[in-house]
Amino acid sequence: MKGAKLIQVYAKVLNQTEIITNHFILRIFSPEIVKKAIPGQFIMLSAWKQKDPLLRRPFTFNRLFPKEGSFEILYKKVGKGTEIMSYLKAGDQVSLLGPLGNGIKFPQNTKKIAIVCRGIGVAPMLAIIDKAKEKGIDIYAYISAATKDLLLVKKEIKQKAKSLYITTDDASLGTSGKVTDFLEKTLKDTKIDAVYTCGSKRLKRHIERLKELYGLNAWVILEEHMACGFGACKGCACKAKKDNNHKGKYFLVCKDGPVFPIDEVEV
Amino acid sequence: MKKVDMSINLGGLQLKNPVMPASGTFDLFEDNNLPYDTKVLGAVMTKSIFLKKRLGNPLPLICESTSGLINALGTPGEGVEYLIKNKLPIFRKANQTVIVSIGGDGVKEYKLLAERLDKVEGIAALELDLSCSNNVDNIIIARDEFLTEQTVAQVKEVSTKPIIAKLSANVTDITKIARAAQRGGVDILSLINTVSAMAIDIKTKKAVLGNKVGGLSGPAIKPIALKMVWDVAHTVDLPIIGIGGISNSEDAIEFLLAGASAVEVGTAALINPLVMLEIIQGIEKYLGQQGYSSLEEIIGLA
Repeated sequence: MKGAKLIQVYAKVLNQTEIITNHFILRIFSPEIVKKAIPGQFIMLSAWKQKDPLLRRPFTFNRLFPKEGSFEILYKKVGKGTEIMSYLKAGDQVSLLGPLGNGIKFPQNTKKIAIVCRGIGVAPMLAIIDKAKEKGIDIYAYISAATKDLLLVKKEIKQKAKSLYITTDDASLGTSGKVTDFLEKTLKDTKIDAVYTCGSKRLKRHIERLKELYGLNAWVILEEHMACGFGACKGCACKAKKDNNHKGKYFLVCKDGPVFPIDEVEV
Repeated sequence: MKKVDMSINLGGLQLKNPVMPASGTFDLFEDNNLPYDTKVLGAVMTKSIFLKKRLGNPLPLICESTSGLINALGTPGEGVEYLIKNKLPIFRKANQTVIVSIGGDGVKEYKLLAERLDKVEGIAALELDLSCSNNVDNIIIARDEFLTEQTVAQVKEVSTKPIIAKLSANVTDITKIARAAQRGGVDILSLINTVSAMAIDIKTKKAVLGNKVGGLSGPAIKPIALKMVWDVAHTVDLPIIGIGGISNSEDAIEFLLAGASAVEVGTAALINPLVMLEIIQGIEKYLGQQGYSSLEEIIGLA
């Protein structure tokens, strides 16, 4: 949000669930942050006071609960920081900085949106879905993963989506094809006003092709290592697409994104 | 408790307090959203600027290490004219004391930049980034006494502003480089820049950073920086700005006691944007509690 001051605040953990091995949903109480948050935005979180790990870690909002003053993040334990986080329990304190980045905005008169994601890339999608539901927008969901266990928050998505299409690499659920093939089928007889994708370069590429064929509005939500999250360190640069008048330009994922028009960035 | 005088004069550069951001770790935007009023800082500092636009290094640009941050940004930037037109007005609005950090591919570029910026209003001083350790195409001036002296002397020839020379830790004897800068006529020394470093991913068996090597900042380098400030303070009679892993007011006070007259804060402000404010308040409180009436009284006591 333009001009909105960053909030740095300590917040209490409400609860944490390990949904499958090494994947967690952490719910945090922070009315100040939730009040201003937009789906697609993120927070920088620290659950440590010592200097190792040193930096905060960026997390997108998995779900926002403005009435309750809380939000959820969905993360995978991958290193030192997320390991410490995995031990957080109700009542523990974390330090937050946010909300950061630009967030999503539905185009005017949006009736139908599609979300297309893979694995942990589902992290920002429920917040987008909730926002869409609130506005009476229909949701078409296309999710893929290596195997059926990694179809995270599938049940929640299924409850809210008008249609849900699933592919898994090992065909343990759904087919093993490209999930974007289902999107293409939908596009043949349905007008989708906005597509959001996260978590896979391959999906991004396929959606770019569909954008050209069907004239879609499509956005990609990027994730990147960040030191600050507010545009100071310049560490989270991503290449702007050459064929879009951006030759030799970098964007900052934290400041210019993390939500980008799909054909603006190279990943 | 009586009011403590936090102001300091650094070789012609007057600061209301000794705390400012380190170049490259701080930026201001049109829609400035920092959670504090930057007017409280002793000064604001731009990222190092070159004459022309620079893209910087291949990705990834940063990685964390134990109590530290390794970066190999390669000083990306839009070039000096962009800075003058688009950034400077924002920085001037943010603080009355604006320091512009300049880079350069060789002595000549520093001189051209200093000449250009001397005509620009609202710049309090120039910091010469003589020591950036991740520009592969650059000569690292601060590793060489002759080049350091030459660069400073050439800049002083065309600039009427106080000149700060930012020194590198990656040298055999930093006091020799400090003396060389003094011979060139420098007004202020700032030290240290990041320390040459790298990280390797044992899964891919490759360097983590796109540039392979980078510069280490953060708490990991604080004791190294402190010792170098102490060394230089005992060798050269010039005001020093201490830099390197300063994360709180205790760290900052250590640098003041070692002989720094001011400090720059970098990595810590990436994690806690309010840290510079906390450091200013912490120094003031310490001075009051210790019965000092001015900042100057504790500089170099160690």
